[in-house]
Amino acid sequence: MKPIDPDHSWKRLTAAARRAPVETVTAAPYGFATRIAALALAADHSGRSLFERFALRAVGVASLLAIASVCVNFSALTAEADEETIVIGDDPVALLLGPIE
Amino acid sequence: MPPPPDAESPPDVEGWLARVRAGDQQAARLLVDHLYPQVIRIVRARLPRRGGEEDLAQDIFLKMFTRLEQYQGAVPLTHWVSRIAVTTCIDQLRAQKRRPEFRWADLSENQSDVLDAVMTSENDVAANDALAAHELVHKLLDQLKPDDRMVIQWLDLEQKTIAEICNLTGWNTSLVKVRAFRARRKLRKLFLDLQNKEHA
Repeated sequence: MKPIDPDHSWKRLTAAARRAPVETVTAAPYGFATRIAALALAADHSGRSLFERFALRAVGVASLLAIASVCVNFSALTAEADEETIVIGDDPVALLLGPIE
Repeated sequence: MPPPPDAESPPDVEGWLARVRAGDQQAARLLVDHLYPQVIRIVRARLPRRGGEEDLAQDIFLKMFTRLEQYQGAVPLTHWVSRIAVTTCIDQLRAQKRRPEFRWADLSENQSDVLDAVMTSENDVAANDALAAHELVHKLLDQLKPDDRMVIQWLDLEQKTIAEICNLTGWNTSLVKVRAFRARRKLRKLFLDLQNKEHA
């Protein structure tokens, strides 16, 4: 038997499939909308409040820690910076080349 | 509590949206009831088997409510929800395990007869074989990539235009055409393989 062009076969197959009965019931099942509304709004509220609460607290704590760490280590940081300047000043290459004009 | 909407009056979607944003559960219920027919039609077209359609519809609605703050009204709400439904269905198809190879041996007797009829004869498929043809189409579509599958299903099964598909998905015309081309090429190969196996 002579085979038919695949494109033609597909067209005929989809034409036949379109005649299949379609599900006509499109109303939401009983209780579906109530369940979705409850889930959606509950998730929305708990998610937002939790995020807000933790995010704001985290930002506050992180800022305090950053300020405190800078205050505590300020003298150490400035001393280290002075040492680095001295080391750079004692660099033999810098000494050999002389001061940059 | 606001009065229930009159069946004759057009739905106050904008009003419901505003109330949902304020946390009104009744408005959320009305919105779900209003959009359900559209969402379930999209879901059923992607899932030929009934199992799981309610779960998928639930996922779509939950996504819709989660992203409601992003909806600015630039497109009609129905289009926006359709896009969420389509992308959720595509994600669902991607998440499914890879389908086994399409084989004659796995087809039912009716499906086998239908496939044989469309591949070897010019006669129309019998009207009482329409359901088998529908199942067969979905088995063939299962072999395609989810995006390509959606496009060819809209074009060839649901007879939507390219413009309608663009509206539904947000994809541009070229992308839709490329996906349709890829899907048709794959389907052609599938048919040729089946013909070769049948004649071997």
